[in-house]
Amino acid sequence: MSRRNEQSRQPDLHGVTHWLIRRAAHRAPESLSSRLEEEWLADLESRTSTLSRLRFGLGCCWATLVIVNDYARSRVPAASSAAAAKGFITLADRNFGYFSLRSGTLFLIAGLHAVIFYGLVTTLSHTHGSATPPNLQNQPVNPVPPETLPPPLPPGMEIKGWTIDIRKLVADVPPKIDVENDVTTQVTETSPEPSTPQAPETPTHVVQQVTGGPGAGFPETADFYPSLSIHLGEEGISTVRVCVGANGRLTSEPTTVKGSGSARLDEGALKLARAGSGHYRATTEDGQPVNSCYALGIRFQLKR
Amino acid sequence: MGKKDGNVRMSLQTLRVLEVFLEDLTQQLAGADLHQRCGIASGTLYPILLRLESAGWLASQWESMDPSSLGRPRRRLYRLTSTGLRRAGEVFASFNRGVLA
Repeated sequence: MSRRNEQSRQPDLHGVTHWLIRRAAHRAPESLSSRLEEEWLADLESRTSTLSRLRFGLGCCWATLVIVNDYARSRVPAASSAAAAKGFITLADRNFGYFSLRSGTLFLIAGLHAVIFYGLVTTLSHTHGSATPPNLQNQPVNPVPPETLPPPLPPGMEIKGWTIDIRKLVADVPPKIDVENDVTTQVTETSPEPSTPQAPETPTHVVQQVTGGPGAGFPETADFYPSLSIHLGEEGISTVRVCVGANGRLTSEPTTVKGSGSARLDEGALKLARAGSGHYRATTEDGQPVNSCYALGIRFQLKR
Repeated sequence: MGKKDGNVRMSLQTLRVLEVFLEDLTQQLAGADLHQRCGIASGTLYPILLRLESAGWLASQWESMDPSSLGRPRRRLYRLTSTGLRRAGEVFASFNRGVLA
């Protein structure tokens, strides 16, 4: 099949090569044009492979440019002296076409580079100047409906709205202290229906559960803030679901339950959650550490 | 930049072409032959041949045999002139002196 295609393509490439050579010879100085065409077409016959013939044809095109350039150099002094006698320059060949072509190509390449460089510089400087780009804030790529955020949780699992603020971490606030404060707050926040009248009348023993969270030695968010996100001024909160054993280690791979709107930040949050394995404070029930799963909100925020 | 010798720019490729002609002073070579001997691409080879010819180092003529009997188009054959032989010898001698010095 491919051989048949190759065979059907060869006559076309054969014609292309002849066309290239004829065109190259036509662009050569008129005194050399017919000779070069015949010479090149004859030498082309020694090439057997299609690729070699095509390379030969392209080489002839390049050779024409060089020959025209050489021809112009050799003719310019003579033309200048003749012009002095006749009062004008008579260069019948396309000598200066090469210069315009080459110069044009060089200017085009230089211009493209300049445009690309200017675009990069202006784009980067613009994004670097604004700390909170409007299109990156509060616009999650894949927004998750709020009702699906806390999926039906199995027994023993509790959602915890833990936040890690980079400003606090950068300011050397001991993470352990934050953990304790937030956990206390969280427990009160997530207590279901605290004002229901049935609560005080419950005859059974109420388990005192304290949801776990990042403990001592938990990595700092700043270490996992993607450098590109810092450069682009991306901020957001990525909510990660972690399952932590009684020993403070992850029992399963953390997953993102609500994106921050930036895939980079979400990935950074997952890396942080993985790196924190062993440094989690386990959830306790009546003071005893137990296995549990909870959501961890990791906030990436730049210093102002 | 190659070393200038009169109107001929002495590049490495030019020296290789001259070297092939110096191997046998009686031989007449087409561009295709030189490509096979030197491995120089057509885009470089033909300008070199034309420079050497315009400087009088090489002379060229069409193949004298009948193309129909050859079964292919006639080729342009190049040979080294006496001027080319002398100048090429001088160039290689100067390069050898430079290397030995």
